[in-house]
This record gives sequence, structure tokens and C-alpha cells, in this order.
Amino acid sequence: MLESRNVSVFYGRHRALENVSASISKGEIVVMLGANGAGKSTFLRAIAGQTQKADGGTVLMDGNDITRRPPHEIVETGVALVPEDRGIFADLTVQENLFLGAHPARARALEAQNMQRVLELFPRLKERPKQLVRTMSGGERQMVAIGRAMMSAPSILLLDEPSLGLAPVLCTELFRTLRRIKESGVGIFLVEQNAKQSLAIADRGYLLDNGHIVGADSAAALAKDEKVKAAYLGE
Amino acid sequence: MITKAAGTPAICSSGNRNRSIKSDMDIVIIGLLLGGTYALMAMGLQLQYGVARIMNLANGEVLIAGAFGAFWFFLGTKASPLWSLLFVVPCAFGLNWAIYRVLIVPLVRRSKSQGKLEVDSILATFGLSFFFIGIMVAAFGAQYTDYSYLSEPVFIFGQRYGLNRVVSFGASVILCAALYLWLHKTRAGLALRAVSVNPSAAGLVSINVINASALAFALGGAVTAAGGVLLSMYLTFDASYGVVFTLKALIIVILGGVGDIRGTIVAAFVLGLAETAVATLIDPGLTLAAAYVLFMLVLLVRPQGLFGRRVA
Repeated sequence: MLESRNVSVFYGRHRALENVSASISKGEIVVMLGANGAGKSTFLRAIAGQTQKADGGTVLMDGNDITRRPPHEIVETGVALVPEDRGIFADLTVQENLFLGAHPARARALEAQNMQRVLELFPRLKERPKQLVRTMSGGERQMVAIGRAMMSAPSILLLDEPSLGLAPVLCTELFRTLRRIKESGVGIFLVEQNAKQSLAIADRGYLLDNGHIVGADSAAALAKDEKVKAAYLGE
Repeated sequence: MITKAAGTPAICSSGNRNRSIKSDMDIVIIGLLLGGTYALMAMGLQLQYGVARIMNLANGEVLIAGAFGAFWFFLGTKASPLWSLLFVVPCAFGLNWAIYRVLIVPLVRRSKSQGKLEVDSILATFGLSFFFIGIMVAAFGAQYTDYSYLSEPVFIFGQRYGLNRVVSFGASVILCAALYLWLHKTRAGLALRAVSVNPSAAGLVSINVINASALAFALGGAVTAAGGVLLSMYLTFDASYGVVFTLKALIIVILGGVGDIRGTIVAAFVLGLAETAVATLIDPGLTLAAAYVLFMLVLLVRPQGLFGRRVA
């Protein structure tokens, strides 16, 4: 289980996150909904060690404190982040990106096996291993990004707005793939603006507003909640 | 065997050959031989600037230190200066690793932006270059230095060329190829290319960017010093001559495109050919000036390098 307790982040004197506590276990999908600028990306970056956290908060992975660990060590604990800019290596090939995903020591022994699994999830990537990622479409880049993260054999996958910029058909395909990843036992923590599709596949959800958690419930309950409908579902 | 002569260090010190009988083919071959050796030294700066993101102005001093290492080895043993690579390369690797750890890491840690780091590291390594010059002047003296090794003719297409140039070129090609294969076929090489392409994403795949940069910086210094060993086989140099090579390497890296290994190799040949053509057809004294004209043209017309993409 990955757990944040009272995590706060300041950018200078600006408070981006305050006392955010959330958790995710293996094999579940948890979505965090919030408007632009609510602090969703900041939260994921803080968990993954890319952003400095204020004193007083802790992040635990399977009971181990990873609050002050650098990004490259956090990956080794089984937490993989796909940031909003996808975090891919645009000037390298598809195959090289996937091999880089298996760079963490924890993933090396299972490299061949994970590669097979990723190519099953994204058959498109199998067709062009030598293509430079920067020449690919947005949807294909997202496949490379998630595939790259899956290559590190994560227990928990953190995805920052994976549906951003994707055509509706690709979105549907993406959410279907996420469900398959979950069924393989990986926990997915999703930060999204696409509330409808993400609540449809999620088990639980959090609402983030102005750096604070303002609601937490099962995905089914959130989808019926009047406030959620008004704010995120446009109903 | 050993000659120490005061004189202008000429890039095309052709000595016994008469300029008027030189054919165009001559220019091409000498240019290619020179460019091949330039490629190796520029690969060193490419690793330091393209991967570790440090514009190392003391790069040329490391090259000259490599040249002195070869000179000193040859003087003492009379064996091929190529053998000096066995100790020059590891020493340069260790020295540059230490420079990165002691001098550069604090700058990286405190810098808020890449631009700030670039200014700080340029100033720091500029200072370092004078420190190295001072050490080398104390150790080897300030006079021009060269030595005579394999200075016998070899015939290519019926023309005479110095065997030392050909051997130097061949060794450079082998080392460049080895480096290229290492970068493209091994996990560690792939990690360095990943840092070069996207340092922030490198952390996400568990690459320790500071360690990878230290490795790239150290390897870059080792490669540059190897270039110094090879160039010393036919060039005259002195303790303060490093800046010329720093700037040549800079021209090649910018011309070839930062982070682009293949571009670096092509650009090295372009510089070698341009210098040789100017030295032969106009005046040997103008080689450096010609290099700068080339550099300024690149900065004005294609700042992204020969094959680089324009950054949006």
C-alpha cells in the first residue's frame, strides 16, 4: 500500500497542497478529481519525489518511509509515475524507451517477461520498435509512457491525466487498458479531469480543491453525488 | 629522436612537402585524417556538454595533459605513444570524475536553473583551465614540444603522408567506434543517452542523474585526453595551447548539434577539411580564423547544428 499522511507542498510562499492524506492498494484504481490548479499534479510529483514536501507530512510505501527519498530510489520501491508531459525520451526509439523502463534493479530480472506483457497491452508498439518516439502520435506516446512505467514492474502506477489530448476513441481504449493493468494486480492512482470515464473504472475517488481533500468515497457513490455531478460531470 | 623547437604550432606542419604541388586530393586526405582525430576529442566535450550539461572550458587542458603524458612516456620508454593510453585514459577519467564531484556537484545542487548552472560552470572551469596551465608549465616548461614518432612516409593514391597521421587516424576511428557501440548497445550507455535526452524523466526510470553525469563527465575527459595522445603524435603543442582545442571541440559540438554523436563526427570532418583547405590554399596562419568564420556562420544560420531540430 502507498499512503500519504498530511503531505503539504509550498512553492515559495504559495501553498499548493495542505495536509493531503490518501492511499492506494495493489489491485485497485483510485481517481483524484479536481479542477485545473487544484494541486493534483503537485500531489503526484510530491509522492514520486520530484517536488520537495514540507515538514510534517509522510509518504509510506508498504510501511517504509519514502518521504525524503529521491525519485530514482522511489521507483525501486515499486512506485512508477507517468507525469503530465509523459516523461518519455522523445529522441530515443520505442524499444529503447521500454528498455529504460526496466532500468531499475528490481525490474531487470523480469525484463523479457514484462516486455512481453507490455507488448500484449499495446500491440501497436510491437509493430515499430525502432521508431523514434517524437515522430509518434499523442496516443502512441501515451502507450510508450505507460509501457515504460510498466517495464519497471510497479506495484503502484501513478498517472497524471493520461487521457489529456487524446481523441475520444483512444480515451475509451486507454481506460480499458487501465482496467486490464489493474486486473493484473497493479494499483493505479489516477489524476483526471475526465471524471465520467475515470469514475467508471475506479474503485474509489478523492476530490481535491485548492490544495485540500474535500471529499472521499467509493467511485459509485461519487458518480451519483450531486456536487460531483455539478462540478465535474457537467450535469 | 626528440626535438623541441620553438616555432608556430602549425596545424598542417607539412615540413618537407611543397605547397604548390599539393593536389585537391591531398587536401581531402589530410583533412580527413585530421578530422578523424578531431572527432575523438570532440566526443569528449560532447559527453561533458551533451550529457552532463557542463560546458567544460578546461577540456583543452585535459587534452594537452594527455599530449604531455604521451610525450613523457615516449621520452622515457621509446615505445609507441599509443601505449600511454593505458595510463593516460584512466588518470584522465579519475581526474575528471573528481572535478565533477568536488567542483561541479555543489554548483549543480545550488543552481536554480540550467542557465545559472551554465554560467557558473563556465566560470569555474575557465578558472580551472588556468590552474591546469600553471601546473603543466611548472611540470613541463612553457616551450613548444613535439616528438618524432613514425614520421616516415606512407603512400595513399601515390601521394606521401606521414605514417603518424594515418596511425593516429586509425586509432581514433577504433576508439570512436568503441564509444559509439558502448553508448548504443549497453544498458549504461543507454542510461547516459537517456540523461542527455530528458534528465527529469531519467530519474523516473531510476537513473541517478548526478552519478550518470559524473560518469559522462569523467568518460568525456578520458576520451579528450586520448585525443590528446593521438594528436601529440604529429602536432606541436605547449602548456597553454589547450584553449585552441577547447574552442575547436566547441565548434564541432555546436556544428554537429548538442547531444548528437553522429553530427559530431560529421562536423569534425567538416572542420578538419576546412582547416586543411584554408591552410593549404590561403595561409596556414588563417586556420583558426577560418574555424571561427565557420563557427559564426553556424551560430547565425543553423544554431541547432547540422542535423539538429529547431527547438519550438
